[in-house]
Amino acid sequence: MLSDDQLQELFDGVLHVLEYTGLEVQHKKARKILKKAGAWVDGDRVRIPAYLVKDALAKAPRSFTIFARDGNPENDIHIGPGRAHFGPGPTPPNFIDIETLERRPYVRSDSEIVATVCDALPNIDFCESLGTISDVHDELAASYEFATMFPKTSKPIVAWSFGKDDAEDIHKIAIAEAGGQDAFEKRPNYVHYCEPLSPLVSTVEALDKLIFCAKHRVPVIFTPCPLAGGTAPITAAGIITQAAAESWMGLVIAQTLRPGLPFFMGGVLSVMDMSAMILAYGAPELSLMMAGHTELAHFAGLPLWQTGGCTDSKTLDEQAALEGSLSVYFSALSGGDLCHDVGYTESGMTGSILQTVMMDEAIGYSRRITRGIEVTEETLAVDVIHDVGPNGHYLREQHTRDHYKTEFWYPNLCDRRNFEEWQEMGSTTMRDRVIARTHDIMATHQPTPIKPETEQAIEAVLAAAEERVKE
Amino acid sequence: MSRLYERLSTAVLEGDAEKSPKLVQRALDNGLGPKEILDNGLVPGMNEVGVRFKRGDMFVPEVLMSADAMKEGLELLRPYLAAAGAKLIGKIVMGTVKGDLHDIGKNLVGMMCEGAGFEVINLGFNVEPEKFVEAIKEHQPDIVGMSALLTTTMRSMGYAIKAIEEAGLRDQVKIMIGGAPVDAPFADRIGADGYGSNGPAGADLAKQFVGA
Repeated sequence: MLSDDQLQELFDGVLHVLEYTGLEVQHKKARKILKKAGAWVDGDRVRIPAYLVKDALAKAPRSFTIFARDGNPENDIHIGPGRAHFGPGPTPPNFIDIETLERRPYVRSDSEIVATVCDALPNIDFCESLGTISDVHDELAASYEFATMFPKTSKPIVAWSFGKDDAEDIHKIAIAEAGGQDAFEKRPNYVHYCEPLSPLVSTVEALDKLIFCAKHRVPVIFTPCPLAGGTAPITAAGIITQAAAESWMGLVIAQTLRPGLPFFMGGVLSVMDMSAMILAYGAPELSLMMAGHTELAHFAGLPLWQTGGCTDSKTLDEQAALEGSLSVYFSALSGGDLCHDVGYTESGMTGSILQTVMMDEAIGYSRRITRGIEVTEETLAVDVIHDVGPNGHYLREQHTRDHYKTEFWYPNLCDRRNFEEWQEMGSTTMRDRVIARTHDIMATHQPTPIKPETEQAIEAVLAAAEERVKE
Repeated sequence: MSRLYERLSTAVLEGDAEKSPKLVQRALDNGLGPKEILDNGLVPGMNEVGVRFKRGDMFVPEVLMSADAMKEGLELLRPYLAAAGAKLIGKIVMGTVKGDLHDIGKNLVGMMCEGAGFEVINLGFNVEPEKFVEAIKEHQPDIVGMSALLTTTMRSMGYAIKAIEEAGLRDQVKIMIGGAPVDAPFADRIGADGYGSNGPAGADLAKQFVGA
């Protein structure tokens, strides 16, 4: 999409912002780390010379693996050029109940549903909660969320936390399953999510978490959420430049503390709708800006935390299908490394696993297209064409039998039956089939269980956490 | 019930055209009756294929492999069935009607019907009404199948049926039709006995006609 010249201009723009404008770094220890590394610290304001940023970029890996907790290689995530992965997003306050289909506050049992369904969906690669648990102590929502999801999926979880304490809760559970801290460092089984503030602020909480991750070698995402026209420039190039500067502040700290730490450049870039005053999750600008952001990340040698499969619709309808599918498709084309928010509705206010289930189909569809056309002697099939000749057919050919399973994508939810058969099967709509599939997964899917010692670790962690918040 | 029947059904289900005649031979060697081998071994395998296809668990190339396995087994069994006086499931004459050169769909129905145990006489494409009449006289089929892909040629099916009526042969045969532009109401309108929406559905319909 962007030319090399354009990418170079964006890259230089980010370096300029970091060196001449700088960011407010609210974390005292982080300022100390940065100063020692060679940054210019003036009160809270930290400016980073370009060479330091380039140094950090050189240390950060472009390719690495996040491992499935149960050792199932099919659920490992290999980050690297040309590989797009998909999963839900964190923290909306509401959830669409899968039985009543009503919008209501997100509760603990929803984490179990989200993890189970993500574990079963073939095109969902990682798991995130789609909500903030409302029926436990306020400060323990993230700890309970991870503790609830971890046993229900062996796909890597992207965890979030309020701060250091619950980040530690989560880590204790993960390393129990991995077999200790050393084993975890070799085969990390989750990713942690940190969110700085736009414009240009690195908050105490975000940096607490980042420093925790660097210390324990937890792969980390550092992702601001700027609004074009509100908390960032209104232009696509401007918001990309600012968001990259915000994310790379985290990069410099992380790579200074722990060279080689797997780091995802982040930024959910979208528009502040100037009439509805919301962050639009279904806007074409989101897909466009995210594609540009992805290209800049790859130009700089970093994997990106992409966004797609989300919608501003309040329900599972045509708008949700349209906005979700187009953003998933564009995200797949851009090859953004971890694409999140698959299942966000109502501009991020409500999580919907039904949307995730519908988007699983759109991701499969998109992946068939991005897989492209393979051209080899075998696929050219000149000899098969010769053998069949005029007026023949290919249905019985070995060539057909060898390739029909891999050459075609077969839908799970889209209906291709003829009218009579469709009618016979109950004249269902896409919405009906999404709901039925979700219920079917919940009734039948069995995730790989966690180890007994991890079960004990979860109990101990939650008991200690409850004690902590009593005080 | 012999374990061989079950293995034969599995060979058909898995589309193993090498194994199915071998298992038929072994069943015959073990003294099992040809009609029993057909009814308890080959046919249940093919029935299961139909169920799985309808459910979306099997795809056309796999169904054809199963049909081939069925056909190979049946080929070997045919003389024994004839000697025992057991009737084959039925005979079908089929063709794409006059003016239409498309016949992959019709051939697919033919292969499925063969797989279901029918003898199929394929008249090809661009078949004149009189040719259907002659074929009925010559082959004495239970069923006539007609197909068209184009809206411009689907009417030819009606003409062919009329020709069969005028020749006084209409009561001898059941007539089934198929093809992309065709549906059940159209089949009623032109006086056919039934409509099949795809290959396996066509074979199902043929089985219903002969009460199999």
